[in-house]
Amino acid sequence: MTQFVLRRVLQGLFSILGASLIIFVITRLSGDPVVLMLPPEAPEALVQQMRERLGLHLPVWQQYLVFLGDALTGDFGTSYRWDMPVRDLIFERLPATIYLASAALAFSLVLSIPFGVISAVRRGSWFDRFAKTVAMLGQAMPNFWVGLLLILVFSIHLEWMPAFGADTPAHVIMPAIALGWYPVAAQTRIVRSAMLDVLESDYIRMGRSVGVPEGVLVWKYAFRNAAVPLVTMMGVYFASMLGGAFVVEVVFAWPGLGRTVVEALFARDFPVVQAGVLFAAIMFVIANLLVDLSYGLIDPRIRHDR
Amino acid sequence: MSRIRLGASAVALSCVILGGVSAPALAEQSGRINVALGAESTTMDPARYSAGVDQYYVGTMFEMLLKPMPDGTIANWLAESWSIDETNPDKPIIDVHIRPGVTFHNGDPLTAADFEFSYQRQSDPNVSRWSHYQSNVERFEIVDDLHFRLHFKQPDSSYVANYLQLWAMPKDYFQEVGDEAFGRHPIGTGPWKFVSRRVKEELLLEAHDDYWNEEHRPEAKELRIRIIPEDLTRVAALQTGEVDWIDAVPPAMLEDIKSLDGIATATMPAGNHLFLDMDTIPEGPLQNVKVRQAIAHGVDMDAIIESVLFGQGQRYAQVAEGATGYNPDLEPYDYDPAKAMQLLAEAGYPQGFDIDCYNLITPREPNIKEMGEAMFAYLGTIGVRCKVVNMEYGAWINLGRRDEQTEQLNGGLISWMWGQGVPGDPAIAWGGHLHSYEPGKGWGSYSHVDDPEFDRMIEDAAKIMEPEARTAALREIGARKHELVLGGLTTYQPLVTMAWNDAKVSYTPWPYPGFWRNFQEIGLKSAD
Amino acid sequence: MTAETTRLPDHGIGAQLRSLFGDGFPWISAGILVGVILLAMVGPMVSPWQPGALDLRSAFQPPVWAGGAWSHPLGTDNLGRDIFSRIIAGTRVSVIVAFWAILLSGAIGTIIGMIAGYFGGWADTIIMRLVDMQLSIPPLALALILAAVLDPGLQAVVIVITVTYWSWYARIVRGEVLSLREREYVALARIAGCGPLTIFARHLAPNIVNTLLVLATLQVGQVIIFEASLSFLGLGIQSPDISWGVMLADARGYITNAWWAITMPGVAIMLTCLASNLFGDWLRDVLDPKRKQL
Repeated sequence: MTQFVLRRVLQGLFSILGASLIIFVITRLSGDPVVLMLPPEAPEALVQQMRERLGLHLPVWQQYLVFLGDALTGDFGTSYRWDMPVRDLIFERLPATIYLASAALAFSLVLSIPFGVISAVRRGSWFDRFAKTVAMLGQAMPNFWVGLLLILVFSIHLEWMPAFGADTPAHVIMPAIALGWYPVAAQTRIVRSAMLDVLESDYIRMGRSVGVPEGVLVWKYAFRNAAVPLVTMMGVYFASMLGGAFVVEVVFAWPGLGRTVVEALFARDFPVVQAGVLFAAIMFVIANLLVDLSYGLIDPRIRHDR
Repeated sequence: MSRIRLGASAVALSCVILGGVSAPALAEQSGRINVALGAESTTMDPARYSAGVDQYYVGTMFEMLLKPMPDGTIANWLAESWSIDETNPDKPIIDVHIRPGVTFHNGDPLTAADFEFSYQRQSDPNVSRWSHYQSNVERFEIVDDLHFRLHFKQPDSSYVANYLQLWAMPKDYFQEVGDEAFGRHPIGTGPWKFVSRRVKEELLLEAHDDYWNEEHRPEAKELRIRIIPEDLTRVAALQTGEVDWIDAVPPAMLEDIKSLDGIATATMPAGNHLFLDMDTIPEGPLQNVKVRQAIAHGVDMDAIIESVLFGQGQRYAQVAEGATGYNPDLEPYDYDPAKAMQLLAEAGYPQGFDIDCYNLITPREPNIKEMGEAMFAYLGTIGVRCKVVNMEYGAWINLGRRDEQTEQLNGGLISWMWGQGVPGDPAIAWGGHLHSYEPGKGWGSYSHVDDPEFDRMIEDAAKIMEPEARTAALREIGARKHELVLGGLTTYQPLVTMAWNDAKVSYTPWPYPGFWRNFQEIGLKSAD
Repeated sequence: MTAETTRLPDHGIGAQLRSLFGDGFPWISAGILVGVILLAMVGPMVSPWQPGALDLRSAFQPPVWAGGAWSHPLGTDNLGRDIFSRIIAGTRVSVIVAFWAILLSGAIGTIIGMIAGYFGGWADTIIMRLVDMQLSIPPLALALILAAVLDPGLQAVVIVITVTYWSWYARIVRGEVLSLREREYVALARIAGCGPLTIFARHLAPNIVNTLLVLATLQVGQVIIFEASLSFLGLGIQSPDISWGVMLADARGYITNAWWAITMPGVAIMLTCLASNLFGDWLRDVLDPKRKQL
């Protein structure tokens, strides 16, 4: 077990290292940021001087080593655009993104758990079909469009909900719906098929035969077992929320990591892009790692030492 | 034109201003005013100034030697008096007397040493992105505490045009706390002093009790500047009373805002100048002056501004009214498709031609993408058939830059912009896009023109520091540029509208966009 | 995957096609998909207006049921362009992007996945580490930085999506091949002296065709949404080329003035994705009833 954990952690670190290299090289290829930083009439000598000060005149591999060395000490450089350390910019934004992703995940579970359980119990009923339609719609609509429609209806026409920003708890509702709708279909399917399996099992049948009430049977006994595959996938869903947040944050002006990175990308603010995507990758890897490790904790039948 | 606009808004505002006057100039400062701006400052340190938006924020806390006043004149501000000594015309000297009795927010008096320190920081390329603006200064000489001289290597007209360039920065305080701490807690001489800042969220300021200028000072105790980049939210925040003042009302919502009760607005030209640049370097149709004139006659700018920008744009011919070198004899080209097609035929293109047209997309200017698309669509109707390529800002600026390493325009058209400032001065912009490209010398970095006559005229004008002679020289360049349609067909200046709660706030708009948001004169009307 | 019966190599899609059009065939979904593909091909012929033609005087006309005129059935945008014609033009981009992105990512992923699964050893290790590495970057984040490097446009979108999705195919194909290579007939073929290429073509490929087909169909919707997201952020298709994502990005700027401009292109995306997802679900049930987890 310990060996398995160690191996997975090492693999995770290796992935992050590789990801950082990919990110670094790609951002370097995206063009010269210095002409965006200096006023247009700045003489060439000044442009060159700026390049050297930022270390952009070095070969890419040297730049990468410098970046890596600094990053290991927690220094991600200074933003090219904002007169402040990248670390501050990113760390200030990270909680907002985690908050949004968590809210979106919560929204998706609030839908998919009852959907999955009730559709399994009442297979073929109108509710089964209704749940399936709602879930499928979520998968067929781009999250940013859902966001725009929500803004159109609830902010502009009905004036019920705040459209942009993150000032109050109400602000998270619409972005969370836009972001959390997509995985509902997959989650419902998992809960539903797990429930179907469990409901067929001997001990549920036995419970039924000894007169345990149906509600207790479904929610207390059956669902608890059926939840295992959902829980093990939770990290994957959380990770995919982080990815999706890149667009949703732009739509709702959510002060998170995604929006910061997209803005920085257009300003060729390399240090911010690198650090932002790297942090997203780190969270991604950690989420996936937790999934793998949780298999063993939640369901001891799955063994790691194969 | 710009004067007319300003006049009109001034009339619309007159009741507000009168209302504000009723409060005595030295009334006790009280209450908090909440304002919302669309863009955030990149820095709080004037020497690290990098974008026009920085002026909005830095200008609340810091001041310069000269300042443009609400009536459009340039006043001596931190300078009590100043003069240019041209005894040696090749090496002029600017002599400045500092206003006595000015103090920084921490109580330190303002002295010549502070300006020397400021000069050192602003000329250091490791600090400033505009260090080349100081490159003609040879030496900073302190005569006494309130008197200094700037010795120039060669004449530099833009130094004067930019309000003598130097910001008042507290040398002692800076050296005590260091660079980073200064950026986190800046101290200047301005009407507002720094309290706290949350990046991209808000800046909290407090009135500077010992502010030197008793005639032009804010009357509120606190000012909270919120950053709300989303247009809809910013407008909604004003409507709900969450904030009392907003900038950059989006063109599409202007009519709605104006129709609201209790909301006052003011509209003014922003500092940016847009034009349709034409690459005349390689062999091609744009080398022919008649083709360029045909393009100038082939776009119905007024119609486009009206429908795409909801009227929030103002045409200009080479130089905007009020700016140095403005020439009232020049009128923008009129829309005349018949004449345009005739000119094309005379130039040898009766069937028109195909051409690459590069269109800038950026959120920095409202609807700029649609403006470009509409202009290029108009050109298609006279036979200049555009293959439109939209470009985001980073790619666009690289394409326009004259540099062997990047792709070039290849004789195409490109929508371009260059701030001449307001009140403007075109000299720096022309040096960049009308003077021919001279690598290493800073001339023509974005120029697609190769015309020795313009080169000579621009280089001469750059050395004339005396304002009237300079105006004449710039007018001459503008007239020639207009006729030859070189260095771009000037199209429009975006207009910016700010809106505020008239019932609650008394506010005097200073006419130039960089300065309105400094809230030099703002106060609360008494509640009862 | 537990009690999988041995599928014979010749028992492929052909035999099943005969029973396809029976009960449960998703006629509506199939109809929408065929319609989209047809529109993409003949679009310019049926489009009432030039999709790029400006008409500033008829800007912001509402759709016909909301007070507009039949000349612009779905209304016009801020430059007076006909939304219906632009949606038709947008189908073309969606179909081209989906076709090429799926073909390329599928082909590359399949080949790499086969190599990893069949040869195992260090080839497998390297490939799977590469896959892990890539999967550790959120797909859209990787796409964003990649799109910023490439010359934006249709080609870039196809490349970005291919780079994002190949690992998806590689992982699944590798898994399938791993389980197939231990089968008797594969082992027999190896003993009989067949080279790896022959084994790939004759014994492995036919057995994973069904899986690939289902994967590809289910990917259509994802690719369309991916393209729309990239274009929405300004990193995908560039106007004047038209895609549904570009239309949404444009319409966002005047959301208060014209609800239809932000609604219609999204409906087009939704219908197409819904159709391809439903069709894919059906295909999965028909071709691969044992594996509902794809």
